[in-house]
Amino acid sequence: MTDELLVVRAQLGDRTALAEMVARWRVPVWRYVQRMLDADRADDVSQEIWLAVVRGLPRLREPTRFAPWLFAIARRSVVDRLRTEYAAAPETPVRDDRCVEDLSETVVARAELVGALTSLPVLEREILVLHYLEDLSVQDCAHICRVPVGTVKSRLNRARRLLREHLSEKGYQS
Amino acid sequence: MTDEPGLSAREMLDRLDTTLSRGTRIRAVAALLAGLAGAVFVTSLWWSEPGPLPDRTHLSFTLLTVFCLAWAGYGGWLLTRRVPLFATEQVVAAGIALAASVGTTGITVVAAARSGTGPGPALAVGGLFIAAAATLAVRARARRAALLRRMRQLTRQEGP
Repeated sequence: MTDELLVVRAQLGDRTALAEMVARWRVPVWRYVQRMLDADRADDVSQEIWLAVVRGLPRLREPTRFAPWLFAIARRSVVDRLRTEYAAAPETPVRDDRCVEDLSETVVARAELVGALTSLPVLEREILVLHYLEDLSVQDCAHICRVPVGTVKSRLNRARRLLREHLSEKGYQS
Repeated sequence: MTDEPGLSAREMLDRLDTTLSRGTRIRAVAALLAGLAGAVFVTSLWWSEPGPLPDRTHLSFTLLTVFCLAWAGYGGWLLTRRVPLFATEQVVAAGIALAASVGTTGITVVAAARSGTGPGPALAVGGLFIAAAATLAVRARARRAALLRRMRQLTRQEGP
């Protein structure tokens, strides 16, 4: 069954379709959150995302655009979580004297330990996750991140370059 | 690092159960309709009261109207922000709203006529609510019909 048919049936109030939708998209959504935050927070944030999805589903006008709509909600939940934690950050001791200028730098500082992907700044990491790991088109990424297509392309270029540099530093050769 | 969600699909659906439960939606629709019906009824009575009213009576009518509107606002907030109403449920909810508007308007008009004042104000306010409920009912039916059409098309395309 296509996603569109699943969404249309769920919008009509079919609980089986809703259950199937959750079963189909639960892991991709969780994986996205896990890559943007971490596994510990992914379950909690995923639950918030599905709550927002269920509440917003009757208002979704284009069932064909379900995936971008779903990831736009996921992104909003991740950003809300980061914003909340960022607001609480001054109360926790900082580990170095570096001046933290924005949210993405904070996230990168926290995620440095996790590996190649999580070493990227959050904006670039997000685009890589959506485009390469979730197979979403450049247009869909632009819709989800609310930026022009050109910005998505430039972030993709930058993300690829940063990833290449990071892997080269670790001794990998392209 | 864990690579699997901690919650299964079943557990996730269980956690969404409160939002999706029929009881929550019935409570939301009931709060909205009872609040609106009460507000119309009280306002019409207030307008149709003959002669100048004492300040305390005005205050009572004001408080009663605000109370009803607060319930209506709570029901509206639940329905738009907290509780999803799917297409079929929207048709049912709009039908209930239409019936409640007609019923409340009828009762209010009769009460106004018996009290000796004209039924004009009650008819005007009630008419507005009936028109709004009828519009919602038509829109909900059209939306459900469009979704059903699309579902049949997609089912045919996918084949047996």
